[in-house]
Amino acid sequence: MTPSLGGALGRRSRHQLGALLKVQAKLSLREPYGLGLGVGFPLVLMVLFGFISKNVAGNVGGSGLTVIDLYVPTIMVISFIAIAISLPNTLVRDRESGWLRRISTTPVHPSRLLTAQLILDLVLAAMAIVITIVGGQAIFGAPLSVGIPYFVLSLVLAIAEIFTLGLVVVALATTQTMASAIGGVLFFALLFLSGLWLQPVQAGAPLRDIMWYSPSGAAVRAILYSVFHATPPLTALLTIVGYTVVFAFVAVRYFRWE
Amino acid sequence: MDVPNDSSSPTPGTQQPAVTISKLVKRYGSFVAVDDVSFSIQEGEIFGIIGPNGAGKTTTVECISGLRVPDSGSISVYGLSPQRDRDKIREFVGVQLQQSALPERLRVGEALELFAAFYEDPLDPGEVLESLGIREIERAAFKKLSGGQKQRVSIALALVGNPRIAILDELTTGLDPEARRGTWALIERMRERGVTVILVTHYMDEAETLCDRLALINRGRLKVLDTPEAIAAESGMNRLRFVPSQPVQDETLYAVEGVQAVERKGRVVTVMGTGDLAASLIRALADDGVQVSEIEARRGNLDDAFIKLTRDAASAASQEVQA
Repeated sequence: MTPSLGGALGRRSRHQLGALLKVQAKLSLREPYGLGLGVGFPLVLMVLFGFISKNVAGNVGGSGLTVIDLYVPTIMVISFIAIAISLPNTLVRDRESGWLRRISTTPVHPSRLLTAQLILDLVLAAMAIVITIVGGQAIFGAPLSVGIPYFVLSLVLAIAEIFTLGLVVVALATTQTMASAIGGVLFFALLFLSGLWLQPVQAGAPLRDIMWYSPSGAAVRAILYSVFHATPPLTALLTIVGYTVVFAFVAVRYFRWE
Repeated sequence: MDVPNDSSSPTPGTQQPAVTISKLVKRYGSFVAVDDVSFSIQEGEIFGIIGPNGAGKTTTVECISGLRVPDSGSISVYGLSPQRDRDKIREFVGVQLQQSALPERLRVGEALELFAAFYEDPLDPGEVLESLGIREIERAAFKKLSGGQKQRVSIALALVGNPRIAILDELTTGLDPEARRGTWALIERMRERGVTVILVTHYMDEAETLCDRLALINRGRLKVLDTPEAIAAESGMNRLRFVPSQPVQDETLYAVEGVQAVERKGRVVTVMGTGDLAASLIRALADDGVQVSEIEARRGNLDDAFIKLTRDAASAASQEVQA
């Protein structure tokens, strides 16, 4: 392939992706599940736990951390979960209604629509991170001292893991009803394991380990260390990578465009 | 867009096949959906594929558009293979699918802009909507549209890429008569622009009005391939309804050349058969001193031909069910 041809193809496919991004963004704004859950929900939780933190003495469960300190990573992971769980909402419906199939009759493969949606969801996740950091530190005074390399690493791994889990739901659910059912159960299970109701440091031995080695609990644990400038435990990082590999395998194995 | 494109309009005698299908077979499990079908479609013609529900029409066109992979046989679209040259073929084959919805909140104009961005050399989305008479719904969300409007949007999406071949599957199903006529006019205009149209339908009037040639598929097999007129003349039964001046025996009627069936309703006699029934009947009856009045003749049409050509298979099928 000559460089000029490569350039032309690249330009063309960027043009196609750009058009898809524009359409997916408009649709997301008209039906803002992802936006509402992914950004609105953490905002509400932030305010809630911020005020609880002001009224409760620090050193939760002997960890030396206040409520808001502990909840900053939990809220971040919850926002990733909310965004990932809203992914099947659009994709399963688009597949069920025949929209993906309709697109596959054009020169553009429907995987491009998935790419566009994932890019938008990454933007949402970034917004949620910024809101949580700024809110946690500036408004509620969590003494964050983020160690950038580990922080970025933990976030990238966490987002990859949680989004891949969303794709597993897209791959396995044949109908939108089924996607909502699976998504709903998964959402609350992951919320619990991320420490929304009970932080791992407050839990007893078996439950704490279950949370630490769960998909959302491991993500929270890795982020928690990295926002306080500590090295995340290798077991937490490996747990996340392990889940991501398994989820990716299942998603790829069972994914259908029609 | 209504200006005929001379360079690509077909000239009789110099036509080249746009699509050639040879010995196509497609199975779903043990069910053979398409069984050894071969035909070719000329550039610029409106080619109809007719047949009862489940005959294999949609499967056949889905193999042409590359949505399904044939089990055996070959398909060539301007010399390209729908499987190997998938990307190239998608560039110039526009497809309207039988069942496919747009995202509910997507607006008509946005959907067309999106599809236009997918193609190398698209038509102007506004002009496409204009020519389909749906410019006024440009800003309407898909879920707010009526059945006819959705159908037109679906056709618009198939055309906005400026295709050389348009595959339209069941495009007037569920439309009211006025919308159907409007859609037919659109297809005529596509012909004028030199677009080859492959039309899947189970409406005989649609096939008769629009198509240059028809392939009748039944239970996966190609039964007939000809012009609508030829199919109607060959397999359709002519009908002659009349009132004889005095009672006529059935034997007398059956003795007339071409008569295949006789029905009576009071004094009114209806004979069905092939050939010029009126002339031969009137002559034969006049020989017996019988005058005929209130004559009503109906030429064989595609409906009759369709029923006749698919009946054998249907009765075989019902026997299978009973057994």
